[in-house]
Amino acid sequence: MESTSPFYSLVPEVKYSPPWQDLSIIGIAGSSGSGKTSVAMEIVKSLNLPWVVILVMDSFYKTLTPEEHSKAHANEYDFDCPESIDFDLLVDTLKDLKQGKKAHIPVYSFADHQRQTQTTTLYSPRVLILEGILALHDPRILNLLDVKIFVEADMDVCLGRRVLRDVRERGRDIEGIIKQWFTFVKPSYTRFVEPQRQISDIIIPRGIENITAIDMVVKHIQRKLQDKSEKHTEALRKLGLLAAKVELPANVHVMPSTPQFVGMNTVLQDPATEHVDFVFYFDRLASILIEKALDMTTYVQTTVETPQGNKYMGLNPKGAVSAVAILRGGSCLETALKRTIPDCITGRLLIQTDENSCEPELHYLKLPPQLEEHSMVMLLDPQMASGGAALMAVRVLIDHGVQEDKIVFVTCAAGETGIKRLVAVFPKISVIVGRIESDGEPRWMEKRYFGC
Amino acid sequence: MASKETVPSPAQGVGPIYRPDGEKPTATVSKEVSYENVHVLAQTPQLIALLTMIRDKRTARADFIFYSNRIIRLLVEEGLNHLPVVEQSVTTPVGRAYLGVKFEGKICGVSIMRAGEAMEQGLRDCCRSVRIGKILIQRDEETCMPKLFYDKLPADIADRWVLLLDPMFATGGSATLAVEVLKERGVPEHRILFLNLIASPSGVAEFAERFPKLRVVTSFIDQGLDDKKYIIPGLGDFGDRYYTL
Repeated sequence: MESTSPFYSLVPEVKYSPPWQDLSIIGIAGSSGSGKTSVAMEIVKSLNLPWVVILVMDSFYKTLTPEEHSKAHANEYDFDCPESIDFDLLVDTLKDLKQGKKAHIPVYSFADHQRQTQTTTLYSPRVLILEGILALHDPRILNLLDVKIFVEADMDVCLGRRVLRDVRERGRDIEGIIKQWFTFVKPSYTRFVEPQRQISDIIIPRGIENITAIDMVVKHIQRKLQDKSEKHTEALRKLGLLAAKVELPANVHVMPSTPQFVGMNTVLQDPATEHVDFVFYFDRLASILIEKALDMTTYVQTTVETPQGNKYMGLNPKGAVSAVAILRGGSCLETALKRTIPDCITGRLLIQTDENSCEPELHYLKLPPQLEEHSMVMLLDPQMASGGAALMAVRVLIDHGVQEDKIVFVTCAAGETGIKRLVAVFPKISVIVGRIESDGEPRWMEKRYFGC
Repeated sequence: MASKETVPSPAQGVGPIYRPDGEKPTATVSKEVSYENVHVLAQTPQLIALLTMIRDKRTARADFIFYSNRIIRLLVEEGLNHLPVVEQSVTTPVGRAYLGVKFEGKICGVSIMRAGEAMEQGLRDCCRSVRIGKILIQRDEETCMPKLFYDKLPADIADRWVLLLDPMFATGGSATLAVEVLKERGVPEHRILFLNLIASPSGVAEFAERFPKLRVVTSFIDQGLDDKKYIIPGLGDFGDRYYTL
């Protein structure tokens, strides 16, 4: 067995940016009670896309000292001035998200006026809406925003709404609310909130009632997303052209065409095959792929003693092996996986390819804890066409701390261009492929397996 | 015992070919034999790790069964590759033509009781409705020679390919007798595939010479036999570890 030179020296500068890199962020500022939240919700509803996230600036309130805490209870603490917000943390969070990284959003408890120890993880939103009275205050944030919205309402209306909300939802008394309004909210409005009007792109008067304005914003975002999607698809195409020139590297293992393997593939591809037979042969073929994939994990030397007291110098697998199924197709491979590792730790991510744009979209993500410590993470997908979903899935794992060389992509059938594209971007991953098929073959195996 | 066949088995680095040799862990791998009709499974780190697991005396029965079954499935998959196929082209669900193959000929399994029966599950995992015959061979107390006690085989066995199952192959007395039984029932030698987990080098050599048309598929050829004719290093009594211990 001879070692081959690493493949990545051939294509040094191939990169893949997932669509959530260069995230679109919309900032919505406006007075308390002006209807920012309603406008944000209306935008989410009108966009009608998966993973549009509203980030409320309240999460970034600073933790209060005991002294400030008692002030807050006496309605004497100013929650409306910029100093009460941890802008540094907010800027860092937005920067991470803008670059497509995972971010940890603080959880703020209004009861204790303290940041909780736990955080909420936010990763790869399609569009992020930052909502807060001072969303357009910090110049560093302005640079990160794609659209700057200022929601305007008559101050009387704002006060009226605030009284109703605080009494109904937060159990506060009217006196306290009025006191806070005139001591902090209104002065702060004049000093900090209102000036944001000047630097906004769109001013939405009357908030939620202003359907025309909201519609304009939504159209604008849709156009931007369309551009981004076209760029992503184009980048994938270029990657394919670039990668097509090189040979399949040694870390791509195409299963040898043994009679049984070809025979099973024949049964699987024959539309006359009964559903029960399809499932049986699919599981059998997939088991072979999983067994093959396990060659890629780390083994350490060990010597064991047999019942007769003889010594044998063998190997032990080192560390945990886990799998992440790319849904829905990936779950077809789970029967085979469980046959090989019954208690395999399994994560799931749902990537759906948009039928119109042919662009893969990440819809759902649930990864096991400490995934980055496992000695091997298998990515399961029965069929890989363009490799778009595969690229995205590998990227997701890497963003969650999994080392590239620990990732093994397992698939029953794949197009050559798709594989080349995948390993051009991620040269250190291993790929186990059952059968090479023509590029651009539509996905059909999971339909056969699940019968729908 | 300094006989020729207790020469230690070779140790070599095992791992994916793209990994540099220095990064491959070293393990004892199967001995090589130069018989065309003996096929040893590729000595992958994965296979070695499975064998390590079942050789280890500390491995509990549930794990022993599970890991044995995994190796047996690999053996069956390799064994089935020796069966004939004929070309067959299909039009796939997406309308593309695929030139594939179709399995040709009927098969059946024959297990040498009792350890061979442990391999039936693995066979069924790969061949769902396979018929399985049984042969019981015990050592005759008087002659010390293996003796046929019982057999129950499919009536049409002469028309089938036979996968003969026995996990441990030491001197090969039982397997040899089993092949004789099959041949008596009209199974041509070339249609017998002997599937085996661990074999002794002398046993397998003698067997391969005696039945040159039969094919042996094994996962490992061990170092040799001790003076009690147990395989070294072996894994103990397979039947006991699978069924009772």
